[in-house]
Amino acid sequence: MKNKEKNIGFILFVVFAVLPFTLAFGYALLYSFGIIGVVNEGFTLEFWKQILTSPTLGVSFLYSSIIASIGVLLSVSLALWVVLNFKESFNNKYISFIIYMPLAVPGIVSAFFTYQLFAKSGFFSRISYKFGWIDSINQFPNLVNDNLAIGIIITFVSLLTPFFVLLYLNIYKDERIEELSQLSKSLGANKNQIALKVSLPIMLKKSWILIVLYFIFLLGAYEVPLILGQESPQMLSVLILRELKQFDLTKISEGYAMAVVYTVIIMLVTIFIFSRKKLRSNAY
Amino acid sequence: MYKHLFFLLSILILTLMSCDKQEDTRNWKEASWDEIEKQASGTTVNFMMWQGSPVINDYINNYVIPTLKEKYNITLNISSGQGPEIVQLMMGEKQAGSDNGQVDMVWINGETFFQLRKIEALWGPFTEKLPNSQFINFKDPFINIDFQQEINGMECPWGISQFALVYDTAKTQNPPKNLQELEYFIKKYPGTFTISNDFSGMTLLKCFMAELSGSPDGLDGEFNQEKYDTLSTQLWDYINRNKKYFWKEGRTFPKEHSKMDQMFSSGEILLSNGFSEGGIEDKVLQGLFPKSTRGYAWENGTILNSNYLGITYNARNIAGAMQVINFLISPEAQLKKADPSGMNANTVLDVSKLPKDYKNQFKKITARKYGPSLNELSNNAIREPAPEYMLNIYEDFRTYVIEE
Repeated sequence: MKNKEKNIGFILFVVFAVLPFTLAFGYALLYSFGIIGVVNEGFTLEFWKQILTSPTLGVSFLYSSIIASIGVLLSVSLALWVVLNFKESFNNKYISFIIYMPLAVPGIVSAFFTYQLFAKSGFFSRISYKFGWIDSINQFPNLVNDNLAIGIIITFVSLLTPFFVLLYLNIYKDERIEELSQLSKSLGANKNQIALKVSLPIMLKKSWILIVLYFIFLLGAYEVPLILGQESPQMLSVLILRELKQFDLTKISEGYAMAVVYTVIIMLVTIFIFSRKKLRSNAY
Repeated sequence: MYKHLFFLLSILILTLMSCDKQEDTRNWKEASWDEIEKQASGTTVNFMMWQGSPVINDYINNYVIPTLKEKYNITLNISSGQGPEIVQLMMGEKQAGSDNGQVDMVWINGETFFQLRKIEALWGPFTEKLPNSQFINFKDPFINIDFQQEINGMECPWGISQFALVYDTAKTQNPPKNLQELEYFIKKYPGTFTISNDFSGMTLLKCFMAELSGSPDGLDGEFNQEKYDTLSTQLWDYINRNKKYFWKEGRTFPKEHSKMDQMFSSGEILLSNGFSEGGIEDKVLQGLFPKSTRGYAWENGTILNSNYLGITYNARNIAGAMQVINFLISPEAQLKKADPSGMNANTVLDVSKLPKDYKNQFKKITARKYGPSLNELSNNAIREPAPEYMLNIYEDFRTYVIEE
């Protein structure tokens, strides 16, 4: 009986996850070589040559990786800091409501919030003007559509932090960190030692796969960088979509080639993570 | 296990195959209008159009859809999508060899027309079949030539509008009218000018390029690579030399025109632009733009072009689509479309060809309070250059300006 259930699960997985993915991937691959596509004229390496010799894709990969790393790093640090210092406050209904509410907000809405708050004509700019801190709209710093991607990072942090807070609160409880801390304290450890040598290592070890998965998630984010990003460099999904929808129909295949590169890299990273059983065994 | 797999796969295939088939095998190019009208009655037409404007949506939902139902017993379904989405959809259907298209008719302009012609995704010619096409002056070069391509009956004109620049008289007394004045202007008011990286922005760049060519019709005719290379070098040089005075020091450009409108209304930029003579009237009435907003044409001219309705190559309901298009270019529907409190759009019909009572009614339409009329700008109207200009400007603006 159990075996049968397992089979059905596997078949569903193949039909609804592997099959569509493989078909889409195959389609993109054929398209990138010009084998299919209404305006393509047959097999060519031209599109691959184009994307591999131009710096656009590499720059975008680097740019996206940096933004995603900073986003994840800040979110995880903030969440750890909140959990280690204010865990008691989460017993309060209202505080936990405020912290968890962003979990229910979709990325695109969050991006609009950030825009409304931080744009040059946004809420904070108006407040600063009213208080006389700035004399004109142009003195307000560039926080959205800016070179340093500050707007994107703010939004990522606001989206991810509540999730990590929730996660770490659970780990804290499940792994009985409270008891372990008490024990360390009775053995003479001070507050910093407890945090650095007991609480943090356990929590990070337990959550590292999720941290990597969230990094991958941010790497491929679309709406947030679309609304808050700049025109160059662009994050990966925005770049690929731009290539796919471009005016020059003869170059659409370049977008597919980029999508193939991106998919292959993400697949390799994912396989690498999940094939290392030893690392996986202790994680959430 | 294989049994299960087979079962699930067959369900999947059956679902894919069950998409209903309704063949339209008649040769509608030969049919008489009576036959077309008869066949169209009681059918459903799927229309893909840009739904980004409340006044246009209001015109379609509260006038066109009920009137079509009442007069011709046609149900009009609207799906949302403009240029790139339409092209993507049609490319996908072409790729899949689908004979039963999801949409029957589309609202397009020259950019999309060029792309759809390239992949042969339009059905036609059909405009001569439409009884109301007698009211359109197909000799007008702004109507029968779309991006320097003759329309040849493959798309039916629906509206016509001119590109214009937009400014606020309360903040700017003398807006720039040529490139030299623009240079002074942005040095005086740094950070208040930019170019959107989309269709509107590229249109502005084409107007600049026409000025650099030395005359309003400097870009007319077929694409000329040599001419483009000379003029574009000058244009990128002009922009790069001045872009430190642009919005955000020219380090980035707004992605879309809608953002320009928002920034103009919040005062972040002082100069905006747009088709429909700047699209000022309805934005002032909605309260987005201040009442002191005005529009004007560039000294060397801004582009005047038409927008069109096309029928897809795999339309399921060609007769219905023709009936709908014929209605949309009827004097009645065009008059409603010109209503100053509604869409306030220029009619594509030649008013002198209309029956007398319609002629009078079109003359009675009150003038715009804020935006300029097509007539006021007509001395500064230039034709849309060949699509290759757009293609190259899009790409080079990114290469030589944005990524510079």
